[in-house]
Amino acid sequence: MKNIKRLLIIGLVLAGIFSCKKFLSVDPPYTQDAENYFQTPEDYDRALVGAYDLLQTSFMSLWIGEIASDNAIAGGESVNDSQGLHQIDAMTHGGVNNDLRSLFRWNYVGISRANYILENKENIDFPEKAHILAEAKFLRAYYYFELVKFFGDVPLVIDKRLGIEEVRNIDRAPKSEVYAQIEKDLKEAYPVLNAVASQKGRATKGAAQALLGKVYLYQNKWTEADQMFDAVITSGLYSLHPVYTELFDVAHENNSETVFDIQYSGLEGGGYGCLVCLEGNAAPGFQGIRQYNGPVYGDGNSYNLPTEDLYDFFPAGDPRRAATILDIEAFIAAQPNPSAITYAIGAGGHTGYYNNKYIKRQGEIGLPDNDLTSPVNYRVIRYADVLLMSAEANYHLGNTSIAQTYVNQIRARVSIPGVSVNSLEKIYNERRFELSGEGHRFFDLVRTGKAASAIPGFITGKHEVFPIPQVEIDLAGGRWSQNPGY
Amino acid sequence: MRIGFLLFILACTTIGLAQMRVVSGKVVNDVNEPLGFAKISSKSPKGNALTANDGFFSIQLKDTVSATLTISIYGYQTQEVVVGSGDQNLAIVMKPEFSDKKEITVIGYGEAKNKTITGATSKVDGEDIEKMNMARMDQALQGQMAGVNISTNSGSPGGSANIRIRGLGTFGDNDPLILVDGIVYDSQGLNALNPSDIKSITVLKDAMAGIYGVRAANGVILIETKNGSINRKPTIEYNGYFGLQETSKKLDLLHADEYAVIKNEMFAMGGQAMPFDNVNVGKGTDWQDQVFTRSPVQSHNVSLNGGTLNTRYSIGLGYFNQDGIVGGKKSHFDRYNARLNFSTDLSDKLKLNSVLLFSTEGRNTLPENGIGSVLYNAINAFPTEPVISPMGNFSYMEEVSDIINPVAQIMNTYNWNQAQKFVGKEEFVYKPLSFLTVTNRFNYNVSLVDSKVFSPLVWYGDGKYANTALNNQLESPTVELTSGFEIDRGAAIYEERNTFSDLSYEGFANYDQVFKTDHQVKATAGVTIFQRDGKSLNGVAYGVPNNDVNYADISANTTQGGYLNNTGSWEFTERLVSTFIRAEYGFKEKYLISMVVRRDGSSKFGPNSRFGTFPSMSAGWLISEEKFFQFKPIDLCKLRVSYGLSGNDQIPNFAYRALLNGEGVYVFDDVITQGVAIGRPANPDLKWETTRQLNIGLDLSFWKKLSFTTNYFIKNTYDLLFQPDVSALMGSYGPGGYPPVINAGNVSNKGWELELGYRSDRTKDFLYEANWNFTAVNNKVTAVPTGVDYLPGAAFSVGGDVATRFQKGYEIGYFFGYQTAGIFQSQEEIDNAAVVQEGAKPGDLIFVDQDGDGVISFTDDSDKTYLGSAIPDFTMGFNLSGSYKGFDISANFYASIGNEIIRNYERQQPYANQMSYVIDRWVGSESSFDVPRQTTEPTRNNVFSSFYVEDGSFLRLRNLQVGYAFSKNWLRKIKMEQLRVYLAANNLLTLTRYMGYDPDLGSTSALSAGVDYGLYPQAKTIMVGLQFKF
Repeated sequence: MKNIKRLLIIGLVLAGIFSCKKFLSVDPPYTQDAENYFQTPEDYDRALVGAYDLLQTSFMSLWIGEIASDNAIAGGESVNDSQGLHQIDAMTHGGVNNDLRSLFRWNYVGISRANYILENKENIDFPEKAHILAEAKFLRAYYYFELVKFFGDVPLVIDKRLGIEEVRNIDRAPKSEVYAQIEKDLKEAYPVLNAVASQKGRATKGAAQALLGKVYLYQNKWTEADQMFDAVITSGLYSLHPVYTELFDVAHENNSETVFDIQYSGLEGGGYGCLVCLEGNAAPGFQGIRQYNGPVYGDGNSYNLPTEDLYDFFPAGDPRRAATILDIEAFIAAQPNPSAITYAIGAGGHTGYYNNKYIKRQGEIGLPDNDLTSPVNYRVIRYADVLLMSAEANYHLGNTSIAQTYVNQIRARVSIPGVSVNSLEKIYNERRFELSGEGHRFFDLVRTGKAASAIPGFITGKHEVFPIPQVEIDLAGGRWSQNPGY
Repeated sequence: MRIGFLLFILACTTIGLAQMRVVSGKVVNDVNEPLGFAKISSKSPKGNALTANDGFFSIQLKDTVSATLTISIYGYQTQEVVVGSGDQNLAIVMKPEFSDKKEITVIGYGEAKNKTITGATSKVDGEDIEKMNMARMDQALQGQMAGVNISTNSGSPGGSANIRIRGLGTFGDNDPLILVDGIVYDSQGLNALNPSDIKSITVLKDAMAGIYGVRAANGVILIETKNGSINRKPTIEYNGYFGLQETSKKLDLLHADEYAVIKNEMFAMGGQAMPFDNVNVGKGTDWQDQVFTRSPVQSHNVSLNGGTLNTRYSIGLGYFNQDGIVGGKKSHFDRYNARLNFSTDLSDKLKLNSVLLFSTEGRNTLPENGIGSVLYNAINAFPTEPVISPMGNFSYMEEVSDIINPVAQIMNTYNWNQAQKFVGKEEFVYKPLSFLTVTNRFNYNVSLVDSKVFSPLVWYGDGKYANTALNNQLESPTVELTSGFEIDRGAAIYEERNTFSDLSYEGFANYDQVFKTDHQVKATAGVTIFQRDGKSLNGVAYGVPNNDVNYADISANTTQGGYLNNTGSWEFTERLVSTFIRAEYGFKEKYLISMVVRRDGSSKFGPNSRFGTFPSMSAGWLISEEKFFQFKPIDLCKLRVSYGLSGNDQIPNFAYRALLNGEGVYVFDDVITQGVAIGRPANPDLKWETTRQLNIGLDLSFWKKLSFTTNYFIKNTYDLLFQPDVSALMGSYGPGGYPPVINAGNVSNKGWELELGYRSDRTKDFLYEANWNFTAVNNKVTAVPTGVDYLPGAAFSVGGDVATRFQKGYEIGYFFGYQTAGIFQSQEEIDNAAVVQEGAKPGDLIFVDQDGDGVISFTDDSDKTYLGSAIPDFTMGFNLSGSYKGFDISANFYASIGNEIIRNYERQQPYANQMSYVIDRWVGSESSFDVPRQTTEPTRNNVFSSFYVEDGSFLRLRNLQVGYAFSKNWLRKIKMEQLRVYLAANNLLTLTRYMGYDPDLGSTSALSAGVDYGLYPQAKTIMVGLQFKF
């Protein structure tokens, strides 16, 4: 009895002297948190991997770059399936658009992850730090370039994370300031970056120079653009891959023509619930043939279908037509047992054509759900693109012969006769022949002033940029104005 | 010691005194059991006696004079007996203390006489719970109390229900705090609790719950488990039943021939080739018949109860086993329970109460309540396809990639869950003075939760999302882990082990004293310290040998090097430290007032707001005690008012800080490379949600037979804890990223509750009882975070629009879409319509132009509107019971009125099967005014509109029971005390207009309630039962 009483008294005394504050201050067990990170070089490198991750959302840029243009329609299961893309297809898009919102969000995730590294750049010193910071700047520039291409003026957040209150006190920065920041980041990055990547997939000097050249080209800064492209061309590291039809195979990835590829793997499964989590490329599966059952290809979701307009644009003798566009009926008819091959037509639209560059092929199928997990890389900048961009800059600078040389290098690769580059139009046409289906068309049309004539429903002064998602305007405290016309 | 002393006194008093007589007698309890060691005392002459074990006693009294004897024994009401001069052989029947258990209610850290309770509480006795013959306490609680709304998440064995006390207070976790004998018992773990172990359930609905502070905002449920009685010889009770279950409903789907005709029409209308050359294909496969089955349920409970002079015990053993009505054993639940309640007097002043509840449960589940669930597949599978194709494989149905053969799906699904739970307390109650009790208790709650998922290599047909094999030869895919190291991704086993343990200490003192007979003062003060730890370990092993479930264990991993894939773990600790004070004052049990203050400190919140104070107060006025109140029929009239604050701390741990738990993964050198990323941004100001609740109540009782209770409440919740959309600039929408948890938004619940009870005179042969309760709650979101118009909820169809919202001015999770106004009957009608509806053709749904701009806008929300909500206008419970001699009958009804349901189990795909209402589709002018044309061409008929919203009101006979109890006289001959047999039925009858399986459709998420993906319906069960006691 007495013992029990004693025990109780001891218990009460213990309860009395016990410190509440300390007891309640619990640290998450076995977890690094955001504030005590960046202690070792590996910490920096792992955070950098996180910043690269968002590149893998490129499928959305690819789709919109094609669907908004005269190259493709949205397609899919129904008009309500990815409504945002259908609206963009019809040029009826407005401030409420889930696909544009995803794009806006994902690129800011990439920026904030790059900023998280750069915010902590002074923590420790180690030999590889300069390269890691240069990669982070390259990535930040890449993400801001996506945003400025799509939305024009966008808020500029540099080297910091924003708190809940801060996001309501930031304005959209003028396009020129965004471009200035992109140029600054890339100019700081390319001298540091390795010419040859230490690991396949990392940003290189050539990638940064080509991207910077492209950024200049989008601002009509021909001289600066030419310098950058020239540096890439004269580096001697790049050449055109001899076989055009192999360019989009997994087997021939990261070849001599690759200036910058976004890397994907088919070795991790994925689901529709989280497209941003995928390690595979969602584009080939989405662009695959609906409920297809037959040889060569896999089945997919019939998105981003090339138009008749694009098909007809190619001269019959250009082998790039077949490499770019799959004419499904013609393909089936050419197979040994056509009647055994079946596919379905999605209610979201049908043209009879599929994107033959990024399409689900047998032998390139990832883990379930394999509509989402293609191992096929996204070719951000090919050497062919560098040549054509350089040709364009040179044409503007009056060096038409250089322009002609580059254009004809491209044509020679597919064994078709050269042309005389006596107008910009020739270069623009060559870009469409060479680069269709790769997500560049809409932005090319806009920057060359051709969009209004090429895209039905395109309103000049409005559709050059997409609307800022209305909800993002609201969430940022309602202080941003919408893009004109929306 | 005490016994010796009493014997000594007894001996003294019997020493020869003249002019005395000896009076003897027997003391028994209310069930005629002899009571030993009862104390018999007489004032004049002073004397005491004790009863022997057989209850007999004798005492000396003065001759010829009548005397008064006082008989007392612990656990029974003390009584006085006047002994006349000639009386001999007294028969004394002791009534247990508080003979009517209904008069006492447990409140937090104490109990109170019902008469003096000033808050809003409801109570159900264990018998009423047990009688429902349901696996879980929450299921049995439906319709039993006003203000407590139960909705079912799933009818599958072991499926959970939601307990919502007084509406939805938050967008987040609405689960009440559940305490079993004072021990925190998480609502997710309710499967472990055996309803047969419950003695009573009390719900604290208003500010009275404030004694539980930061965890009380969703209401508090206090469960008492059964305990023994002092001085009762051991009794053994058995209660068991066996039942057969079947689905209460099948959907009315198209038969094969109807399907073929309609699909041909759809394709033809869409300008495509008709898929069926021959439409005379008979009825085809009834996929629902293939997946539904009749399956057994059984339950057996044995308990042993009793007590000696200073010890009480109750021991219970239980077994429950239920197979599912979908998939039989593949959807299964079983449970074993053991319980020990033991109290003993360690000394005169110190008592030990010990409770130990052990359970082990197993559950097998099938994919349910979602796109891709077995029932979803059964609803949408093509009736023209056989279960097994002529080739011998399960039919593929390749035309739709996300519909798989549901029979094959059941066969290939292996999900197990096992949980072991130990819950208990050691409680020391020290009573140094008659008015003071000091309680110290140590509680524990340990759960071990294991699960396994076996994914064999399967092939459901080309392009199916659920395929795990490469082809129909069941070849396994390979994975390259690092360059050159490939493994077969064969049959996989996922295993997960979770451990949760709660430890807590609670110390409190109760003071209770009456001054000058009229002034009752009560006070309670205490502290609690609570800690919860949790950890998990999980991983996947590939290459389970022979694709065989019998080898499905991580140990059977055949991968080179024993490599496990997707291994993961987590661990957390949370702590809560609280102090509380309650002061109560009552004047003549007429004017009552009570005040509570609780202060909580929680590790869940940011360092800037770690402590919260929650005051509340209540008052009562027993008008019927007033002199001026001389209205005979009313024996009780009490007015109650309460107001107070409480909190909700149900957010993830460490939500206030930024952790590196995001996903940062990229591919370098073709290898998937893990990096890090911030998961959720920090918010150091994070704190609890605060609920302020006002309650006004009135209790009336007429002729001690008819009771009436009503409450009106206003419950406002502020600073809702949730993760609203935040600006993209915060960078929180990456892989593994989430918005920060912030405090923003308010919700209001106003409601009215009514409980009516009638109990017939206990002395008649024909006894009956009727209880009716009614709840109406008006739920409204009153604020959302700045910059946010609404929070999106559940999506409609596959990849479709958000159909439910959390938005200011509306109910939580209301439905938002297009309002329809019939069908366009002709092109002329479309051309002449005042409103332009792009793409409309005759036979399409007409949408209402909400913003009046003359155009139906499909690109924004301007023409969408309120289409209903899952929150009922009111709910009712109605319980009837009656008995005549040995026969008894009881019925329990529940009704939910005015709730809507979104029909979301229809796969909007050309080949998917459809409900038979499409037979009445539009096929030409005036052919239909509500069902649109069927076509494969793009239409707007499948956007979310009122066409997909149905009235979900229903009335259900939840339980019906007819029993017969054998007569006591006859039983005595076979030495039995009770024997009853009964026939019972659950969910025998449901009246509803809802087309889906089951209108009782809940969701743990407030924003997904009322969205029906093909709910696993509750079974209709017929049972036979047996109860006996000896």
